[in-house]
Amino acid sequence: MNGDGLKSHHPPSDLAVAVDEMSIERVVARLLTVGTYAFVALLAVGTALMVVGGVQPLGASPRFDPSRIGDDIAHLRAAGFLSLGLIAVVATPAGRVLVSLIGYARGGERLMAVISALILAVIALSVALAQGFAA
Amino acid sequence: MWRFHAEGGRGPLQANGVIEVLLLIGGGVAAGLFGSLLGLGGGILIVPLLTLGFGLPLITAVGVSLVCVIVTSGAAAGVYLERRVANLRLGMTLELFTAIGALTGGFIAFLVPERFLELLFAALLGYVGLTIGRRRDADPEPEIDTSGGASGRADGAGNSVAALEARLSAPGYRVRRLGFGVAGSLVAGVVSALLGIGGGLVKVPVMHVVMGVPLRVATATSNLMIGITASAGAIVYLLRGGIEPYVAAPTAIGVFLGATLGSRTAHRIDLRVLRGLFVVILLYTAVQMLLRGLS
Repeated sequence: MNGDGLKSHHPPSDLAVAVDEMSIERVVARLLTVGTYAFVALLAVGTALMVVGGVQPLGASPRFDPSRIGDDIAHLRAAGFLSLGLIAVVATPAGRVLVSLIGYARGGERLMAVISALILAVIALSVALAQGFAA
Repeated sequence: MWRFHAEGGRGPLQANGVIEVLLLIGGGVAAGLFGSLLGLGGGILIVPLLTLGFGLPLITAVGVSLVCVIVTSGAAAGVYLERRVANLRLGMTLELFTAIGALTGGFIAFLVPERFLELLFAALLGYVGLTIGRRRDADPEPEIDTSGGASGRADGAGNSVAALEARLSAPGYRVRRLGFGVAGSLVAGVVSALLGIGGGLVKVPVMHVVMGVPLRVATATSNLMIGITASAGAIVYLLRGGIEPYVAAPTAIGVFLGATLGSRTAHRIDLRVLRGLFVVILLYTAVQMLLRGLS
């Protein structure tokens, strides 16, 4: 739809940009699909380990600690898979924006590239501020 | 108003733990199913489920709900983009402002009293329930504007806005009143992070009614946007310890299953019956949330 839209609102010489836009959408769609299946799989493994370990979800949950993920996964502890899954959940939309930024920059669409970069800047600011408050 | 508690220590396949996991998955399935069939994110149901059903604090429920909103978006937005229904350019332009709103709302949520959020959520539930109850089966599409309309200004700042609106448009419709879209997106972002919803309740009407985007495109584009909106808020919650992984994981899996099931069975279900049931649930939940906020 948007690719067609570009054809109607841009001169024919912009056909290459329209093709790039179509490929951006396709790549973004695949990234979202793959990302979603990946984090659902991680959360599912974590949940299965919770059940096997007799964990009660409504009891105390482990505090989110990225530095322990590797060790927890190596020892097949639920917390590691769940933390990695949650990171994948919040990172997938940002990954989609990053792919769009690269696509728009390569296609010479400066305005959309700038908008993509600003969205990533807001997300980076979220991380920085939240870490600052948590510290 | 019940909550399961362990009697004694933890052990392999402890019955209560398994039941809790199954209940959270089941609640997630119901929220995801309703949400996908009625075009809403699951957040509007997840938060009451976790607070009223499982007795969790509202701030915890909001954190879990934001995770579920991203899951819903990821499952649906990819399909909408593949089918070329969602408008990626429009979505990215507006989500810059929803992200700013969500970042702001994420911090406000930790500062305001929980009672205030509960009353706000009760008002939201009541509003949504009444809106859905009064909705007609087929809302009229906005008049298609191919002449330029409000975008046809040819001087100064209006010219650059008109040019941007034209770039964001697609065949069959022309985006207009971008300024209102920006303002609506900021509001949607704040509300999303405060209450753990996707914000589609604000974005879809703004895009459809105010900006002239067809309903189908507005819904699909909103679905794409709620991922970034919820993500900006969820990062704040996650890093501040506001997301409980043991609750979030089973609920999110349930939402994913429910949303997937809903998208495959939508054509077989009588939406009028479903809508009526949903309105009753929403209004009942609104009263419960109101009582909780006032108690």
